[in-house]
Amino acid sequence: MKTIISLAAAVFSLSSLSVAAHDMVPAPAQTQDILIKNATVHSPSKGVLTNTDVLIQQGKITAVGPTLNAADATVIDATNKQVYPGVIALDTSLGLVEVEMMRPSNDVYEVGQSNPQIIAVSAYNPDSEIIPTVRVNGITHAQVVPQGDLLAGQSSLVSLDSWTIEDALVPATQGFHLYWPSIRRLSQDKDKRKEQLDEYQQQLKQIEQMFADGQRYHLANRDKQVSKIDLRWQALQPLYQRQAQLFVHANKQLQIEEAVALAKQYDFKLVIVGGYDSWRLADLLNEVNASVVYTRTFSLPMRHDEPLEMSFKIPSLLAEAEIPFALGFSSDWNSRNLPYAAGQAAAYGLTQQQALKSITLDAAKILGVTDMGDIASGYRGNVIIAEGDLLDPMTSRIEQLFIDGRQIDLNNRHQQLYQKYLKR
Amino acid sequence: MHNNNKTALTCALLGITLSPSLHANSQLTDNTPKLTALTHARLMLEPGKQLDNATLIIENNKIKAVVKDNEVPQGAYVVDMRGYTIYPGFIDPFTEYGVDYQYPEQSSSGPVTDIKRIGGNAANGAIHSQQNWVDYIYPDKDSAKAWINNGFTSVQAGIHDGIFRGRGATISLADKKANEVIYNASASHLMAFDKGSSIQDYPNSLMGSIALIRQTFSDVQWYKANIDKAHSKQAKNNIEYNAALANLTNIDKEHVLFETRNLNNLLRASTLLKEAKINGTLVGNGREYARVDEIKANQYSLVLPLNFPAAPHITDTDSERDIPLSLLRHWERAPANPAVIAGAGIPFALTQHGIEAEEFWPRIRRAIEAGLSEEQALSALTTDAAEMVGTAEFSGKLKAGYTADFVIAKGNLFTDGTIHTVWLQGQPQQLIDSRNAHLEQQYLLQLGDINLSLDLKQGDKLSGTLSSGEQSIELKALAYQAGRLTFTGDLSEAGYPGVSRFTLWFDDKGARGRMLDSSNQQWPVAGIASPKAPQPAVVKAAEKAHYVSSVTKPNVAYGLTQAPELEKVHIKNATVWTSTSDGVLANHDVIITRGKIDEVGENLSTPSGYQVIDAKGKHLTAGIIDEHSHIAINGGTNEATDAITSEVRIGDILDPDAIALYRALAGGVTTAQLLHGSANPIGGQAQVIKTRWGVSANELKMTQAPKSIKFALGENVKQSNWGDDYDERFPQTRMGVKSLFEEAFNEAKAYRQSKQDWSKMRSSEKRRQIAPQPNYRLEAIAEVLADERDVHIHSYVQSEILMFLRLAEAYGFKANTFTHILEGYKVADEMAQHGAHASTFSDWWAYKFEVYDAIPQNTCLMQNKGVLTSINSDDYEMQRRLNQEAAKSMMYCGMSATDAWNMVTINPAIQLGIDDYVGSIEEGKHADVVLWSDNPLSIYATVESTWIDGKRYYDKQQNRQAQQAMDIERAALIQKILNRDATTEMGKPEVLVQEPEWHCDTHYNAWDQQHAGSVK
Repeated sequence: MKTIISLAAAVFSLSSLSVAAHDMVPAPAQTQDILIKNATVHSPSKGVLTNTDVLIQQGKITAVGPTLNAADATVIDATNKQVYPGVIALDTSLGLVEVEMMRPSNDVYEVGQSNPQIIAVSAYNPDSEIIPTVRVNGITHAQVVPQGDLLAGQSSLVSLDSWTIEDALVPATQGFHLYWPSIRRLSQDKDKRKEQLDEYQQQLKQIEQMFADGQRYHLANRDKQVSKIDLRWQALQPLYQRQAQLFVHANKQLQIEEAVALAKQYDFKLVIVGGYDSWRLADLLNEVNASVVYTRTFSLPMRHDEPLEMSFKIPSLLAEAEIPFALGFSSDWNSRNLPYAAGQAAAYGLTQQQALKSITLDAAKILGVTDMGDIASGYRGNVIIAEGDLLDPMTSRIEQLFIDGRQIDLNNRHQQLYQKYLKR
Repeated sequence: MHNNNKTALTCALLGITLSPSLHANSQLTDNTPKLTALTHARLMLEPGKQLDNATLIIENNKIKAVVKDNEVPQGAYVVDMRGYTIYPGFIDPFTEYGVDYQYPEQSSSGPVTDIKRIGGNAANGAIHSQQNWVDYIYPDKDSAKAWINNGFTSVQAGIHDGIFRGRGATISLADKKANEVIYNASASHLMAFDKGSSIQDYPNSLMGSIALIRQTFSDVQWYKANIDKAHSKQAKNNIEYNAALANLTNIDKEHVLFETRNLNNLLRASTLLKEAKINGTLVGNGREYARVDEIKANQYSLVLPLNFPAAPHITDTDSERDIPLSLLRHWERAPANPAVIAGAGIPFALTQHGIEAEEFWPRIRRAIEAGLSEEQALSALTTDAAEMVGTAEFSGKLKAGYTADFVIAKGNLFTDGTIHTVWLQGQPQQLIDSRNAHLEQQYLLQLGDINLSLDLKQGDKLSGTLSSGEQSIELKALAYQAGRLTFTGDLSEAGYPGVSRFTLWFDDKGARGRMLDSSNQQWPVAGIASPKAPQPAVVKAAEKAHYVSSVTKPNVAYGLTQAPELEKVHIKNATVWTSTSDGVLANHDVIITRGKIDEVGENLSTPSGYQVIDAKGKHLTAGIIDEHSHIAINGGTNEATDAITSEVRIGDILDPDAIALYRALAGGVTTAQLLHGSANPIGGQAQVIKTRWGVSANELKMTQAPKSIKFALGENVKQSNWGDDYDERFPQTRMGVKSLFEEAFNEAKAYRQSKQDWSKMRSSEKRRQIAPQPNYRLEAIAEVLADERDVHIHSYVQSEILMFLRLAEAYGFKANTFTHILEGYKVADEMAQHGAHASTFSDWWAYKFEVYDAIPQNTCLMQNKGVLTSINSDDYEMQRRLNQEAAKSMMYCGMSATDAWNMVTINPAIQLGIDDYVGSIEEGKHADVVLWSDNPLSIYATVESTWIDGKRYYDKQQNRQAQQAMDIERAALIQKILNRDATTEMGKPEVLVQEPEWHCDTHYNAWDQQHAGSVK
């Protein structure tokens, strides 16, 4: 047992780093085994395990249980500490946007209705000042999602500690993002109503055409009849081969029903993002094995008359309806508040365990990742050690964070400026 | 005599005899005697006064007498009006009829700050008060028909464009030359909030319009008091001639007709007129029933449209969910609006503005079915309307000496009668071709030796049957032209083979004519009329309309059916967060009485008559206070058309219907400062409110709060993020922002000085000198300089913060609170030294460049340096979770729980200058308290109850019940809509004008929106 990293040491390391480089240095690959002792482990699958040890070796959790031993491991005394799996933030624009209102720094929205060939990670900036401010709240990974009209492109799962976009990328099921057209509120005025419906129809036709074209390409491709590559439909092939999934961004019942109809037609794997009305559609969604990324926890009710707490309780309604779901937070800098959205969902009907699961294990499941989101043997060493409740800012104090067993620098732009002005 | 009468009736209804236009011969003088007696009629003399079997004598264009016994003066032309009712002519106070004028078309590109000054017009393009619409009256008989057909005989006319719209004229709808139709050349001053076709940018918000009106009212008084001194030799300066102001100088003794778009604006208009002590009438919108008590209290009469909406589209359940309950309710309740207003004793007129003219009477009947009495309807159409348009002395009644404007109807117009003739200034205009009356009869015809019964029916097409005994044939090719009825029929059964053709003509005795059979042989036909048995009137007995909807305060989802009561409560065993130096007290009791916190202590005994709430395990706190919010306002949060708009007031545009108030309560928020946006350096005056749900706009105000104003620095005021069109208005840099403030402060200083100098003058001098012109814009800034109005300044980066601090110091006032202040941590020492407060976000950053150095430890750094710090929301959603926002400082920089909690209670109370009343749980303070399920800083805490002034405005339990009740009401309304008879439906579904959620930088033009409801 070599070193005991205590809380005091962790705080010291923070302040000592404040004079370091402008950006945080990515941690090297894990070489030293880490043994976390006497922790209260919060496992999304098994619940709360008190007095439990966690062993992390070569980037993976290799054992979880009482009184583990490992020679030469760095031992972290986690008595009275809480251990959680790293949080996975779904539907973010992290690394694509630095300052939203400054156009040169905003790479999230591409023009055009049909851009399946676009891949988020190609514009991801691992040196974004925003990223270290997000991971201090326990978020180790993020799904980075391009935005657009209709078919906007492919998302990427990234680790929030990397040198380059290539080390950032984590293998996950390929995901195409389709922003379903919407009518915010159907007008009662006859002419306006017609105009709205016509435009909506027009967009639906476009979607229909797009996937029909993709299907033509798919059939031709299968029979080796493609003479000239079509960038768009070539990119879309994995979807028809059921090797990718379709994330449809939709909130209203009508949109979701139409998205399901599309998924059924082509036998696509479907994920609904947004999903405000999805809890009403259990049978429909479960029939096609769709899942939901609910992103509106911290929102007003979408409709005037709905219950005040509607947005807060939708996660529990989804759970009740037995629809597989995870929570997302559609933002860049603000996605750091995802754990508290889960806390809010717990205040409105989810159990603590369900809430935690909705931002860890269930998020990983939706991305098709099988070794993330839990504190269990075989899972990646994505681990949070906190003093309090990860989901409650009143008590949550994250002391240490590991991604693939690598201890992450918890310093960031905010800490640096804080430390600087503490000196004034 | 009897026979003569019969003939005359026909002629009168034909409108031939008395129409001078048909006699027109410019060579000869028309000396036709003009004395007419309409006898045996039912006369509706005035509302509530009815004479049956009486005579109306008309001479020339006036009513000569009303005679009870049908004694007719000698030489009178007599018309027997048996079976007819005569009503006084109706008056529509709100029209644009007969005005031959169009404002010149103006085009503009880019911002327009000034308009063309011509002929002494006002400086603002929405002020046209110099217009006297009588100057442009040009009768137009074609467009007059739309009113005459409904029985109107006179209207008030003017062009409805702009804020001050000029002076209306009351005119007859008679087809005469302009000079003869003018009834009141100087009727109402027409007004509205809507700036209309003015191309000038200012005002682009509702509060801007209100400020412009207020300033204009003030200018009028000043102009009136000073214009005579303008050319006095001793006067030091001159004042400009202003035709717009000149025409308003007696407005306080005259009458205003104020058009509004919605109920809130109607109440705002009445408040504004009342403040200026001006009489008038408000044009309503159809939802007046929802706040009838407030309307009554302001004592203005109304003009009501009959714009009852058609049912909303609800078949598509997906879009149905988006339709708020308020809209469903209004569909059911709208027809009762006139009845409710009448029931409250508010005088009102009716207008056919906003609906199809043909639907006017069907809609009145609907209003009557919904409870409006016929007498009330008649007053609205006659006497009350006459009062508003200044013609009550001679119109609106059937009375000797009054103008001969009246309506002759067959039957009762308010149930199923029809208008036959309208008399305008003694001239009848016939509406129904009386010959058609023949078609309403049944005829017993003799054809050879067969007796036939002819039954005719007038629908869209004329139809009829001929029958004899059991046999009946359907007639074909019916046509009625020039008094002759032609049709064909197969009378083979009666012994006339083939198809025969009939030609019949009618008189009062019956029908005569001929039939041509298939062999071209002609047969005479003759018969007598036997009036159809009268249709039994549809018995709409006193059976009251059955409503499935409620009317609540406000009349939206979650509105209250009764106001919350002042509670006497003993809250026991709570964990009490005092927000004082006492910190958090475990197991404490709080007693609330008469709206105040009466006692805080341990194991208090319950006074008799008090309800006990056992709060064991629960937490009690002072209500949350939000220093920076934009909820519950209408018509724009920015009047950003000028760099300085300190004259506009958020307090003018409060929206008590806003669901955001109720949502805030559910998040424990009891007080909020509603700020003007940050689109210009010197914005409008702020308003502190309590989030009382179910009160009036005025009752939202927290009266104890000192005056405050929004200033702004940074990217918004230099228009950095507004796009490429906005790179010209000064300032474009932070350097320029500073000089703009200096300029404004200097102006304000000089303004106050001039007022002080004036007040020191002797009265003899004052009589010669021009008084300084009151200027609400400079007044508000002068108040800031004198520390009479607190500044809440939107700011981000250190340079601008220091700049403003030093500027405030140079001008000798205190910079009260820096709001947002995300770089406050960099200059916390200087802020503390100045005594400035800070109100910031917990963790917002990186959304624009000036917040790139924002850090979530800002609160701790400022607080620790002695800057009193609060957390604000500036957001509808986050406002509901300010408790969690406060807790983030515990996470990011280790703030203590009590310090964190103070940031959303006592600290903002101090910043708003209301800490003597709210912000902590202390004896004597307002009972604005919140009971939480858990530690209020925890993410898991939810609000159980929220009291303001000892009244429980939110309660979790009651909210759940309200939710259930609403679901039931909604379902019932939807069933009612689905079951309705859509074939008799009139109008269009109501289109809701949906305002955006307001933010600091919301750009909004309040006047680009379409009118609400089915008003065109």
